Amino acid sequence: MSAESFELDGPGRIGGQNRVRLLSMFFVFAFMAIAFKLVMITAFKEKEETNPELAAHLSRIPRPDIVDRNGKVLATDIAVASLYADPRKIPDVDEAVELITAALPDVNGKVLRQRLLQPKRAFIWIKRQVSPEERDAVYNLGIPGVGYVNERKRVYPQGRLAAHVVGYVDVDTQGIAGIEKFLDNEGAIYTASLADPETQSAAPAELSIDVRVQHILTDEVSKAITKYKAIAGGGIVMNVETGEILALASLPDFNPNADTKALSKEQQNHMLSGVYELGSVIKAVTFAMAFDYGVINMNSKYDARYPLVIGNARINDYRGQNRVLTVPEIFTNSSNIGTAKMALDVGIERHQEFLRRMGLLDRLETEVPETARPLLPRRWGKLASATIAFGHGFAVQPLQGLAVVAALLNGGKHVPPTFMRRSKEEADVLAQRIVKESTSEKMRELFRLNANIGSASKANVIGYRVGGKTGTAEKVVGGRYSKDKRLTSFIGAFPMERPRYALFVMLDEPKPLPETYGFATSGWNAVPTAGKIIERIAPLLGVEPQFTSEDLAKLEKQAKDKKAKDKRG
Amino acid sequence: MLKLVNAALVIAVLVSGFALYSLEHRTRGAERDVAKIKREISESREAIKLLNAEWSSLTRPERIQKLAEENLKLQPTSAQQFVSVEDLLVKVPTEVPVKLEEEGKDPIGDILEKMQ
Repeated sequence: MSAESFELDGPGRIGGQNRVRLLSMFFVFAFMAIAFKLVMITAFKEKEETNPELAAHLSRIPRPDIVDRNGKVLATDIAVASLYADPRKIPDVDEAVELITAALPDVNGKVLRQRLLQPKRAFIWIKRQVSPEERDAVYNLGIPGVGYVNERKRVYPQGRLAAHVVGYVDVDTQGIAGIEKFLDNEGAIYTASLADPETQSAAPAELSIDVRVQHILTDEVSKAITKYKAIAGGGIVMNVETGEILALASLPDFNPNADTKALSKEQQNHMLSGVYELGSVIKAVTFAMAFDYGVINMNSKYDARYPLVIGNARINDYRGQNRVLTVPEIFTNSSNIGTAKMALDVGIERHQEFLRRMGLLDRLETEVPETARPLLPRRWGKLASATIAFGHGFAVQPLQGLAVVAALLNGGKHVPPTFMRRSKEEADVLAQRIVKESTSEKMRELFRLNANIGSASKANVIGYRVGGKTGTAEKVVGGRYSKDKRLTSFIGAFPMERPRYALFVMLDEPKPLPETYGFATSGWNAVPTAGKIIERIAPLLGVEPQFTSEDLAKLEKQAKDKKAKDKRG
Repeated sequence: MLKLVNAALVIAVLVSGFALYSLEHRTRGAERDVAKIKREISESREAIKLLNAEWSSLTRPERIQKLAEENLKLQPTSAQQFVSVEDLLVKVPTEVPVKLEEEGKDPIGDILEKMQ
């Protein structure tokens, strides 16, 4: 018995010791686990659970503001709330839909219910860009799985002003048009260089646009459209030395703040995405070509007595002088015959080569993506060369035409136009010589002469030494040139002794008025509009007025005429 | 002896517990302050952006022109109205028109004296 009890006692005591050891081991592990968890909780803060889809939406680099050259805001982001839901977390979809539609009457309950019933989706938008009241109303419903995030909404404080340049974005603030699109696509590197990820902010993108000049341009062109009952119009102001575009207006324009932006054909950007036969404005290129190849000089003469016959086509002058004209006379009278003969003297091959050097045969690319390719004749024969010389059968986007004329006047260097701010040094690197310095000098002389005594005299704002060339193109309607549907334009620069700014104005189908004596050619509508624009922008741009004795005599005469008129009135 | 050590340990636990708690409390407070200031900064940034946008909208050239046309009798400056500095020099009188110091008067100096 005793042996048995010993037997039993022995292992029993050892068994008891083991049990105590096991228990204490268990406690030690348990306390260690608690201590470990405690350290984890206090020392390493647990990351808040975020929806991956939502996180992706919020972590985007902020979009830079767009400002004009003087820092005026053209586009910026403001904070708005957007309501979202996580369908997996909503306990009662029907109740949630009922509550949400009661708080937000414009949310479609049926659609919302369908979307909330997708159990696999972790994220849906209930409504984007809501007012603070709506946000609070829904948030206070306290539905699990429903929340809001602060989003950014793009606003354009200047409204319609420069809308064609700035462009616009969609509801996810992705650029759709204009500079906004450039910031997301071609200019993505530039956009990234503006961003500062540390402070989650971005420096503004500085445009070359000057809102004051932009407004004056838009204002005067829109007044001209009303006055001459034109269907559309536009204008560009460009810095001749740096290629910066100070203003670009295309009317009718649109409101980038409006929700729907279904642009009509008339609302497209006429200055970039439209190509036009600019008519006589292109004659400037022909003159520069003839000077540059040494085919003509200032004293050359051309016979403009008879129409120029090529094959079975006849080239006539609009208002023929019917005499032998000198080179300056061909320019100021805008003689088609004289200009066509000049081009034929240069020759077809050299004509093509020159236009290619001007860049007029290729698409002009700027930051604003909506640009059009020039329209060229399919067969380039003698007749095509002759008509292209005076701007028929050859269509370009207006900005391209202006950039070339600016190069002809600034000393012969082509600077690619830009919508972003650019310094003189940066421009000098990009500049390419396309004509000789001496050619440019002669072109300046002709432009100035044409504004003094020629077809552009109504743009000659006395004191600002304006030079210009006019163009009146007949529009092609149903494959034929229409006699009464015209496209009138003015291209010019000032001050002419050393041009700093180039200006282009265009009116589509201006109508004749009694005060224009029944005329609807450029000299009666586009040119006076250009004059008004120059008179208002020249002081802003720091162009100092200077007067010659002739100017003073002209001014005196004007004042006298005005007095006489006032007396009669 | 063992009792004394135990008592000391218990007191040490209590003291360190209290110290830890108050430190934690202060840290929480500081964290709250930081979060609050951060929120205020971002709210201020938002407000600045909004005000900038509003300023830009209110100073639209189109709006200013409309207001000026309605309320002011100003007209666009014509080229003839600009005068160069050289032309102005001709009109500067060679003699000072009012000789205050000779008359023993110095109105601005008087104001400054009064302020002192």
